[in-house]
Amino acid sequence: MLDINKVKERIESLKKLPSLGRKSVKEILEENGFSRRDFLKWSGALAVSLGLPATFAPVVADAAEVSNRLPVVWLHLAECTGCSESLLRTDTPTIDDLIFNYISLEYHDTIMAAAGWQAEENFEEALKKFKGRYVLCVEGGVPTKDGGDFLTIGPDAETGLSKLKRTAKDAAAIIAVGTCSSFGGIQAAYPNPTGAKGIHKVLNKQVINVPGCPPSAKNIVGTIVYVILFGQLPAVDNFNRPKFAYGMRIHDLCERRGHFDAGEFVEEFGSQEAMDGFCLYKKGCKGPYTFNNCSRERFNQHTSWPVQAGHGCIGCSEPDFWDSMAPYEEPLANHKFESINADATADKIGITILTLAGVAVAAHVAISAIKPPKE
Amino acid sequence: MKFLRKMGEYLGGIEFSAGYRWQHWIRAISIFALIATGFYIANPYITYGTASATPTRFLQAGFREWHIIFGFAMIGAVLYKTIYFFFFKEAKGERVSIKDAFNVKMALQQVGYYLLISKHPHTKGVYNPLQFWAYAMLYVFFYGIIITGLALYAEVYHNGLGGMLYPFAKAVENIFGGLAYVRLWHHIFMWAIIIVVFIHIYMAVYNAVFGKNGGMDAIFSGMKWEKEEH
Repeated sequence: MLDINKVKERIESLKKLPSLGRKSVKEILEENGFSRRDFLKWSGALAVSLGLPATFAPVVADAAEVSNRLPVVWLHLAECTGCSESLLRTDTPTIDDLIFNYISLEYHDTIMAAAGWQAEENFEEALKKFKGRYVLCVEGGVPTKDGGDFLTIGPDAETGLSKLKRTAKDAAAIIAVGTCSSFGGIQAAYPNPTGAKGIHKVLNKQVINVPGCPPSAKNIVGTIVYVILFGQLPAVDNFNRPKFAYGMRIHDLCERRGHFDAGEFVEEFGSQEAMDGFCLYKKGCKGPYTFNNCSRERFNQHTSWPVQAGHGCIGCSEPDFWDSMAPYEEPLANHKFESINADATADKIGITILTLAGVAVAAHVAISAIKPPKE
Repeated sequence: MKFLRKMGEYLGGIEFSAGYRWQHWIRAISIFALIATGFYIANPYITYGTASATPTRFLQAGFREWHIIFGFAMIGAVLYKTIYFFFFKEAKGERVSIKDAFNVKMALQQVGYYLLISKHPHTKGVYNPLQFWAYAMLYVFFYGIIITGLALYAEVYHNGLGGMLYPFAKAVENIFGGLAYVRLWHHIFMWAIIIVVFIHIYMAVYNAVFGKNGGMDAIFSGMKWEKEEH
């Protein structure tokens, strides 16, 4: 299935397309102090994290270099722009961040120079010019209640729902960037007043979900590089997340996993156990229920990630995580169900019912002792 | 019930076969072991205060191992009892109870019996209507906890049986809306089973006290005694 020659042919044909950017990848990396050697190391690492053999490292580098031939339209729906910001506003950008900035973002509210009517015009222009060729990246969930009126964009007050559908129609590939566009995110958390949903719920085309709050740059760029390499979408799991990034749980490759198996748990933040790197399960780590590659790839040039820094995973790349994973600093068994004082865990409800049954049994015993049942 | 032995006014017969009794007790022991180990897995109640000099501790792994061993024992017992109920010749009396289960009058009379105001209804099958529905619910909870349990198992053990069950685990995850919900429901099903088991034990003791026919003994010896004129 993996034919390197086909990939090479594809990249050659992409090279013939006009470049949409101003500078080459080489120039941009040099400007930011990355050597050719750093870039090839990055390509090798990305090839491996995409599940490709090491022989693919040079073609991954080629693919990254032609990534500016791929027009990207970026829609902002109901969201906080955190996904974009996390990639853009970093003072030591990684190669992933630079590639992300480098790919031809034909329309991106946050970073494009155009504003107002001009921005609108750019958008319509991009849709026409790159019809059937552009990659659509969506950040943010889509409010669907009352015909989507909870989110309107631009001078014509077009609903996010309508804009999304219109843009998705002629997209070559659709990538949901972040948990909001993948699964609805915080807007979709209970009681979800705007009827916010993941974009795949309103589109009838395949959507690749790259969830996370924010997702790591590697997973976004990895997905885009995969599309460049193979001209198709990567293999996905049951929630349409690329398997190369979301195939295993945080817990499976966690550096504290040994302490978990040993039964060595942190009871208090700032304690000796915390300093000894004990497992954060009792402090609410949701790594055992969360599929992502943070424990392997980490963030900021492989420097660190939440569990290494001493806080448990909050499960941000899982559907419905605002509701299902809360409270974040207690184990999942302390999940609060709706109740009068909002502190009913399964254990409290269970013990209450059991106590009531116990009281009923005691009463039944007492009455039966005085007045035995009829034969 | 096949009558085997006579003792005074009483006739004795086999109420529960050896297989039936084994599955009952394997299930019973497993349930208690699973509750104890399950509460540990949910929120580890034993932890170490200091780091081990050598990485040779496996406390959580040990609890988890026993949880899995008893889990599979319980699955075996539940499957045996399910097949027994539907297909075994001895289970005819159990299957006949289905008819009684939909008899509203009989169900109300059973409630009256427990409220000490009416006589025990004469059932056709071995279970009275309330008992039948309690057990039916118990099996809903059993299969709920088994399905969620196997899905959780397959996520931890990727080879062998876990590997075989992996597509099934993913399907279960989809139905529940993520692995966290699978885990939450696994915990809820446990509580439902605890409550049914508690009432079951009480009713068994109650019937032993007031039934006076060795009903409780039958689950140990298999023998039940009934008065001859009955």
